[in-house]
Amino acid sequence: MIGLLLYLLVGIGLLIFLWLLARRERAPVEGCGRQFVEARQALRTLQLGLLPENLIERIFDPEDFRYVTRVGSGDIGNLFLQERKRISLMWVRRVRCEIRNLMRFHLDYSRLHAKLSVVTEIRLALDLALLLLACRALRILLYSRGPYGARAVVGVLTAAAGRVCAASEKSLAFLNPPALESFRRSSAGDGAAI
Amino acid sequence: MLSLLLWLAGLLLEFTLLVRSVQTKTFTKYIYFYAYISCVFIVSAGLYIGRSQLGFYEAWYWPTQFATLAMGCGVVLEIVRQALASYPGAERMARRASCAVFIVTFCLVEWSVASRAVWSTSAATVDLERDLRVIEALVLATILAIVFYYRVELGKNVTGMIVGFGAYVGVSLTTLALRAFLGPRFDGIWSDLQSASYFFALIVWTVALWSYSPNPKPPANGRGGRGGGGYDALVHGTRAQLESVRSNLRGAAGS
Repeated sequence: MIGLLLYLLVGIGLLIFLWLLARRERAPVEGCGRQFVEARQALRTLQLGLLPENLIERIFDPEDFRYVTRVGSGDIGNLFLQERKRISLMWVRRVRCEIRNLMRFHLDYSRLHAKLSVVTEIRLALDLALLLLACRALRILLYSRGPYGARAVVGVLTAAAGRVCAASEKSLAFLNPPALESFRRSSAGDGAAI
Repeated sequence: MLSLLLWLAGLLLEFTLLVRSVQTKTFTKYIYFYAYISCVFIVSAGLYIGRSQLGFYEAWYWPTQFATLAMGCGVVLEIVRQALASYPGAERMARRASCAVFIVTFCLVEWSVASRAVWSTSAATVDLERDLRVIEALVLATILAIVFYYRVELGKNVTGMIVGFGAYVGVSLTTLALRAFLGPRFDGIWSDLQSASYFFALIVWTVALWSYSPNPKPPANGRGGRGGGGYDALVHGTRAQLESVRSNLRGAAGS
């Protein structure tokens, strides 16, 4: 009976995979430049859109909440708290999404490397899975404690995401074609920004 | 009656596929795949012509079935060869993973066969087919997992090969497992389902391989990634990113 179930599981599992393959949307064939731009975009979103200090202060500083509860009623305070919670959860979701984008960038390049290390790739996949789980855990923490109950966590996540950006800058710099680098250096003065 | 109709229609589709492969000059491009189709066509046509002779079909069915089963493994090889040809890294991963799956499944199957108390030719034949299908199904599933994980783009030809052969293997495996459980009373349905799934595969292959449609080429890597020169740096960068975020999240969860 167990054998039957295993065989059925493999057979039906394969059919589900095929169904997913048939349903898979055809991604546009991307050029090197496009991938580069997308990775840059993910970095830029993290650096300029999600991690600026003033934005984080704005979302997670309890001063606004104190002001609202001081001048308004309790209901308005609760409504404000709900909205802030929603925004903070959205913020974590976006950070998670951009981390995934950076990982996708890694996969898009590693698949082309003939000397890819299978063990390293498996470890990276596990690392990513753990990291995404950790992000999810952080969301639960924000959800249960509220936006002002996890300030320390937010600070730590912001610092970590900042380091991710710094590391990604290095990865992207390595992927810059040498010719482009030299052109960038030569046009650094009053030329157009690349 | 249904099986006979599907048999004849299948022969027609196989012939069409072979003619088109010559017309579009794809026979040499997908040599293992068309070798399989040629083998099945010759076997099917031979069995159909000789079936009026007494005992001919019974005598030749299982030996020829073994030949087509063995050639079916060539289709899996063709899929690996074609799907990941432009992605050396993903291909390396698929090769290792497929070997591991093959060895583990083969050992499990051998162990299972060795521990069987009673042996009979017909049961052994059906079991062998089922065990081979398990290996093919697991290898195909592994390749598909890698295709999804690395976002490998497939052309119409290779997608058709995978969908057609995968559907046939998946249905065969499921029905063979059910047959082993339900016994001879399932034979009628089993035979019809096998024929229907193979016919479905032939339709998919005829549509997908009507004209030559290679896989889209992946974008060129700016630093010549195919040589593997920058892989270490890339891994180092990615690992540093993940590690820093992970360690800080761990600390955050504890705060």
